[in-house]
Amino acid sequence: MHGRVKVRTTEEERERKKKEQALKVRAYRAAMGRIQKKRDAGELDNEMLSLTVQILLRNPDVSTLWNIRRECVLEKLSRLKEEETACETPGEEKPEEENQTVEDKTGEEKAAAEDKSHSIFTCELDLTEQCLMVNPKSYNAWHHRCWTLEQNPRADWQREVQLCNKYLKFDERNFHTWDYRRYVTGKAMVPAAQELDFCTEKIRVNFSNYSSWHHRSLLLPELYPNQQRDRPMSEEKLQKELEMVLTAAFTDPNDSSAWFYQRWLLGSGAQLDRAPRIAAFRLESHGAILALDKPYPDITQLKTELVGGGQTILLESWLPVDKRGTSWKCQQNFDYQRKSTYSLRLSDQKVDLLPLSGSENGAYYFAPPHGTASCSKDLLAELQTQLQSCLDLLEFEPDSKWTLLTSALLMRAIDFSANHETSLAHLAKLEKVDSLREGYYKDLAARWTLEWELAKWPQSADFPKRFDIADDVLLESLPYDQYLVIADEITLPNKLRDKLGESVPKTFADLKLQS
Amino acid sequence: MLDDLPEQFDLVVIGTGFTESCIAAAGSRVGKSVLHLDSNEYYGDVWSSFTMDALCARLDQEVETHSALRNARYTWHTTEKESETDAQSWNRDSVLAKSRRFSLDLCPRILYAAGELVQLLIKSNICRYAEFRAVDHVCMRHNGEIVSVPCSRSDVFNTKTLTIVEKRLLMKFLTACNDYGEDKCNEDSLEFRGRTFLEYLQAQRVTEKISSCVMQAIAMCGPSTSFEEGMQRTQRFLGSLGRYGNTPFLFPMYGCGELPQCFCRLCAVYGGIYCLKRAVDDIALDFNSNEFLLSSAGKTLRAKNVVSAPGYPPVSKGIELKPHISRGLFISSSPLGNEELNKGGGGVNLLRLLDDEGGREAFLMQLSHYTGACPDGLYIFHLTTPALSQDPASDLAVFTSQLFDQSDPQIIFSSYFTIAAQTSKSPAAEHIYYTDPPTYELDYDAAIANARDIFGKLFPEADFLPRAPDPEEIVVDGEDPSALNEHSLPEDLRAQLHDMQQATQEMDIQE
Repeated sequence: MHGRVKVRTTEEERERKKKEQALKVRAYRAAMGRIQKKRDAGELDNEMLSLTVQILLRNPDVSTLWNIRRECVLEKLSRLKEEETACETPGEEKPEEENQTVEDKTGEEKAAAEDKSHSIFTCELDLTEQCLMVNPKSYNAWHHRCWTLEQNPRADWQREVQLCNKYLKFDERNFHTWDYRRYVTGKAMVPAAQELDFCTEKIRVNFSNYSSWHHRSLLLPELYPNQQRDRPMSEEKLQKELEMVLTAAFTDPNDSSAWFYQRWLLGSGAQLDRAPRIAAFRLESHGAILALDKPYPDITQLKTELVGGGQTILLESWLPVDKRGTSWKCQQNFDYQRKSTYSLRLSDQKVDLLPLSGSENGAYYFAPPHGTASCSKDLLAELQTQLQSCLDLLEFEPDSKWTLLTSALLMRAIDFSANHETSLAHLAKLEKVDSLREGYYKDLAARWTLEWELAKWPQSADFPKRFDIADDVLLESLPYDQYLVIADEITLPNKLRDKLGESVPKTFADLKLQS
Repeated sequence: MLDDLPEQFDLVVIGTGFTESCIAAAGSRVGKSVLHLDSNEYYGDVWSSFTMDALCARLDQEVETHSALRNARYTWHTTEKESETDAQSWNRDSVLAKSRRFSLDLCPRILYAAGELVQLLIKSNICRYAEFRAVDHVCMRHNGEIVSVPCSRSDVFNTKTLTIVEKRLLMKFLTACNDYGEDKCNEDSLEFRGRTFLEYLQAQRVTEKISSCVMQAIAMCGPSTSFEEGMQRTQRFLGSLGRYGNTPFLFPMYGCGELPQCFCRLCAVYGGIYCLKRAVDDIALDFNSNEFLLSSAGKTLRAKNVVSAPGYPPVSKGIELKPHISRGLFISSSPLGNEELNKGGGGVNLLRLLDDEGGREAFLMQLSHYTGACPDGLYIFHLTTPALSQDPASDLAVFTSQLFDQSDPQIIFSSYFTIAAQTSKSPAAEHIYYTDPPTYELDYDAAIANARDIFGKLFPEADFLPRAPDPEEIVVDGEDPSALNEHSLPEDLRAQLHDMQQATQEMDIQE
């Protein structure tokens, strides 16, 4: 009997795999050796290209080989150019009347040369495509693809968009593809609205997709800008987005992507790279102090001017008050006139100063960190519906972490001072049910408390000279301390003061601008 | 032809239905010599799929005492005026002209994506002979309308029919069911042991809408289903989610008749011999050799074991049959349900129907041309319910009125028939193993259990359908299996190695 079925045992299979592996290693080493040798000899030819292909198809992450390929491509292109110019030179010597035909001819030649270079690029694109099938998250292959397209003046960007569609069908969460998609849709001038539709479709398929939510967050502010710039997008659209994301969050509360997107929606839409704004300012005859809402490494780069009393004074020689670069002092003498009104200019921002009450000379400015964002009737209604849904859910699941946090955020978005106590109660509960993140909640509680205290500070009697926080307020840290530099006296809960020790914020009086 | 056959077999299987094919394949796979016979000219018996012509012929066939298919009748519903209205409209002639584009199942089934059959197909490597389509929608009737039941997480997210709090409750309920059993001491579920699933569901404070989703489509329960049973069914549903498509179900492309053939194919690969249109005239037991003597077409065959489907003479002589399943099979030129359920021409939709008291149920499968079971533009409705009487149409009347009275699809062809089962085993055949006729079930669990049971009795030592190797794992006898030469490398690697070896003669390569 011949050809009977006999299956390899696992041992035989293992042995076979081992031998195959050894053969592959030998082939790999031999190819690498050969490539190195050719490169040393400067042979950037077709053989080199085909040698690198064999290795890259198995392992697309050898950067060296991609570099060598790029050298080969550039070499081939420059050779094409040489040939082209070699053809053109005799053409110039032809007599005038023949020019017409010559132009045609060179035109054809030019097209032929272009075709040749185009085919070089196509070859590279095909290779990266195959490599990405092997490893869809190969940084090198994606980068080589971008490089090739940049080199090619006839790059077909539409095709690249189609390719992204295809890849994202295989794996809708590959952030490499999403990154690449942003790059090629920009080049292909794909309308943002169309991109948003694509994004929505992907979220419908699977909403556990940080990349897709992120892509949305970049498209929406562009498509639906917010006029007041205090929300990420127009209120009408925001309302719809909130509705969609809460649906996702309720469907699977353990999936954090939706909750993160929701936090972004409920935020102010501030960009990370925006310029710092004036948080607080106080001026007297011997100098001034300025607090920024976010750190800035060197305030002297921003033009700071004092306008008033019929003159404009440039404020210079700023010294940092804290290490973060949020508060700065300037020891310059002014001729302060009580009867004049002053305003402060920082880059393109201009704020009016208020005179200090009482007999003292000086003026100040203060903007609490939590500004009230615009809120139309419809948006407010949506927020309230959402809050109600969260509260309903809390009845069923009183310990649901994300619901507790979200309802607190929603309450603050609706009316942060009225809901201050309730939102803090939610945080206190979260410290218990999600004890792994206890510190985070304490931190958040401290921020919310300070935002509240600072918001009501201007209504207090000795504003801005005195700042008081009652002793029974629970505070683990003191965020926003730069806002307090305009005060002369700060009263903090004893526990917090002990905790802060050396880092109790400096007051205006402490800074002794006179000396 | 039969004269060329060997005369001695370890196993003779009579009938090529699903269960018999399973046993034949399992026997052949473990090295038994198998002869597989069927008096029909097609594979699958009542498990087969038919073309339009063949189905009509099958339904017209005279009923004998042992026939499993009975009480059959069919009607064409094409009126004269339809053909005038537009050229596209279907009638008897245009449907029959496309007869070969149909695969009409007598016993249609839907597979759980992680169910017994799918596991068996994967385990045995028979899956490479079959193709499937993921079921597109699992539906239920809600306020008289057919609506899609959100199955997966993305369905729940996308559905407009639930409020967000309902979505949360549904997801929470499903997660709880999924985790049930992992934590044995869960107090929440302990108190429901011995009570009904409906009571448990009501205690979860879910809304009426969610309750009907779960009862009708997910747990597929009735009001009296026990808590444990309901939990188990829910888990079965949930465990099959997220494997292939959006729903937990699969339907075999070109109809369920493909499945017995896949098993037959494996049987043949391992040397099983097939004879269709071959009846067995008589079987006797030779007490000396303890072998069966089968006379077929004037020839005597010896078999150590015989397995037979119930409807095959002479084995089933003296067996009384009674109605077991009532079936309705309809062909329509319009689908059931709204546009959303039949996007792009529709796919496979599954709908479980309940009568008003909730005591009786039926399954409806709607197939579009994407299953390869009918031409483009037509839809097949398979309706299946446990039989009550000899009249399948009256058994199904309560369900057909639910389906057709309101939505009024364009039905072109309708047929009703009964699948019968024997009431008791024949005393004359105690050494012959009978397979069970198709039982009323959605998947093939009972049929597989039946095949496994019979196989276990036949060959107690043998493994039931172990994995069949892929071609590249098979070595030809006489070859050293551990030897590896360059020929086993991929082609381009081999070429590369060849080039390299030439090149390395000039170079020093370190080991």
